[in-house]
Amino acid sequence: MASTIHDKGAGRPIGLRLLDLLEAARERLWPARMAALTPWLFLLPAVLLTGLLAAGLIPLLDASLRPLDRATFRLAEDYALGNYATLATRPVYGVIALRTLMAGLVVTAATLALAFPYAWMMVRTPHAWLRKLLLVSLFLPFFIGQVVRAYGWLIILGKQGLLNALLDGLGLPPSSLAFTYTAVLIGLVQYMLPFAVLMLAPALTAVPVEVELASASLGARPFATFRHILLPMARPGIVAAGIVVFTLTLTDFAMPEIMGGGGNDFIASAVYDAFFQLGDAGLGAALGIGLTLVGSAVVGVILAFFGLGTLGYVEGREQRS
Amino acid sequence: MSEKTISVSRRRLLGATAAGGAMLAAPWAWRRAAAQEKPRELIVRAWGGVWVDSLNEGVSKPFSEMTGIAVRHDLTEDNEIRPKIWAAVDQGRVPPIHVNWDTSTNATKSALRGVTEDLGGLPNLEEMLPAARPAGFDGVPLINMYSYVYVLAYREAAFPEGAPESWDVLLDPRFKGRIALYDDGIGFHPVAQIAGGGTMAGVPGDMEPAWDFIRKVKEQQPLLGEDPDFTTWFQNGEIDVACTILSNARAARQNGIDVAWTVPKEGCKVDTDGMWIPRGLPENELHWAKEYVNFAMSQQAQQKWTSGLGLPGLRPGLTPPEDLKGDPAFPTSPEDFERLLSVPTRVLVEHESDWFQKFNEIMQG
Repeated sequence: MASTIHDKGAGRPIGLRLLDLLEAARERLWPARMAALTPWLFLLPAVLLTGLLAAGLIPLLDASLRPLDRATFRLAEDYALGNYATLATRPVYGVIALRTLMAGLVVTAATLALAFPYAWMMVRTPHAWLRKLLLVSLFLPFFIGQVVRAYGWLIILGKQGLLNALLDGLGLPPSSLAFTYTAVLIGLVQYMLPFAVLMLAPALTAVPVEVELASASLGARPFATFRHILLPMARPGIVAAGIVVFTLTLTDFAMPEIMGGGGNDFIASAVYDAFFQLGDAGLGAALGIGLTLVGSAVVGVILAFFGLGTLGYVEGREQRS
Repeated sequence: MSEKTISVSRRRLLGATAAGGAMLAAPWAWRRAAAQEKPRELIVRAWGGVWVDSLNEGVSKPFSEMTGIAVRHDLTEDNEIRPKIWAAVDQGRVPPIHVNWDTSTNATKSALRGVTEDLGGLPNLEEMLPAARPAGFDGVPLINMYSYVYVLAYREAAFPEGAPESWDVLLDPRFKGRIALYDDGIGFHPVAQIAGGGTMAGVPGDMEPAWDFIRKVKEQQPLLGEDPDFTTWFQNGEIDVACTILSNARAARQNGIDVAWTVPKEGCKVDTDGMWIPRGLPENELHWAKEYVNFAMSQQAQQKWTSGLGLPGLRPGLTPPEDLKGDPAFPTSPEDFERLLSVPTRVLVEHESDWFQKFNEIMQG
């Protein structure tokens, strides 16, 4: 027996011996009797991260309940609802919140409408060159930051930009799209498109092409196949992409700042102004809490209405088995 | 001459020298740490573009040559560095910069919060105009360095008939969508007050004329931005008229952009910028930070720095840049200042945030 152990140790490759050592260490640190807890162990980093973010809301909430004392430029010691009263009574915050929410809805709808055919083509095309072209076109903007892209749009949409040069060449009147709400929405849709495509592509890949073929062979027109087969089966990806695009839009700062010309602020701009321009951390914190609540509420409604996205997909599969 | 005589003379000489040195050092108590170890570098917060270039040429570079201490400029926006400094001081950490070049209003807010070092006793402060010292404080928590004027900048090609005479030009339908203001309205509130039919006596109590005028300006779809935006917008032909600081307009013009400026009949807002040092620096770094601020007030530094900026320094005897001699946007005499609109810093500190919010309310509505 002792000889076997010796042989096992001496004759085995170093890689296997290293694995034995690691296995022994694992057994010491995480004995087999704790195997039932292993999935929770893998969840721990995510729980810690989420917990940290949730914990960060506590000082934010604390600050939001302390109005600014202009004599010392410090937050008051006593709790008060002054900052929330400011948000409720100053119409500007309602206007900005409405503008941001509207942008979230419009950008999400437009992005999904553009991303769906793009992702479908990328997944279904039999031509390798086309798939590569679509992938490169998708990833290229990822290498260019949001700020650079926004300035790029200003070069295109500006008064002396490419668009007006084109319109001028065609004998049409110039456009004044730059520094408008429309410009902000255009910039955001372009920024969000890759996120949506990347989330839709796996969902569409999971839809067997045979199902689409079967639908067509049974006489369904392409739109009917799209409506009754593709859309329901890709719903988890659509919901996930929609949530990501909506929340990213809701919290975006750079696009409205650069492309809005100063008159099309989103909530994130108001948070920035409160913290830095007004030096009022309490008001900024109240806005931050408000943004978190509004975002969470809207996402909650989306999930309640459309199902739990990819989680719902797994749940359905388990029910069938 | 006997040996003794020589010896006594030497003692007297040494004594007299020591006494003279002590006499010179007496008002400069802060110089007791003159032998302080030099830090590798000093970090000075600054604005970018012509602002940091002028500071570098006028103050930082000569200071480095004199002392051997490198000066690094931190271009973090003044409003963004403020909470970082406040948090550092509150938490007992070393602040992120040594010297903050700041608007006097923001600097006063930091002074009221108690995060600034006392700069009283810096030798060159004695040479500055009284306006260099902030009013209402026991000590000297900040030093005002120069005045600046928010002028009406315009594209000359858009005004073939000559410079606009009134801020009413902002309401001219010809310039709809082609005007620009600072995104918080800074520099524009007093002007709007007068252009809207009010008086400076109504600031801050009755500013409805200002808000009425700003509401009309809003209808003209102004662009709202910061210093660099104005230059870009003029350069790209996006705007024809803007309310901006003279330095920005002058720098744009010096760079070949079609920009001129004027002080309209209603006047322009005049304000000051200053320097302050955050609390919490190690003793030797504090010493050299004070040396830097002291040097910034010297004749040599003030002349070069403020000439580069095109702004009147708060030290007597400075020579105005050739291109700004006699320009009403470059005030040098009390009569010049009377033609401009000045709001006391204390009023700005107390009310500016409300004005920013009100301006924002109108522009975002």
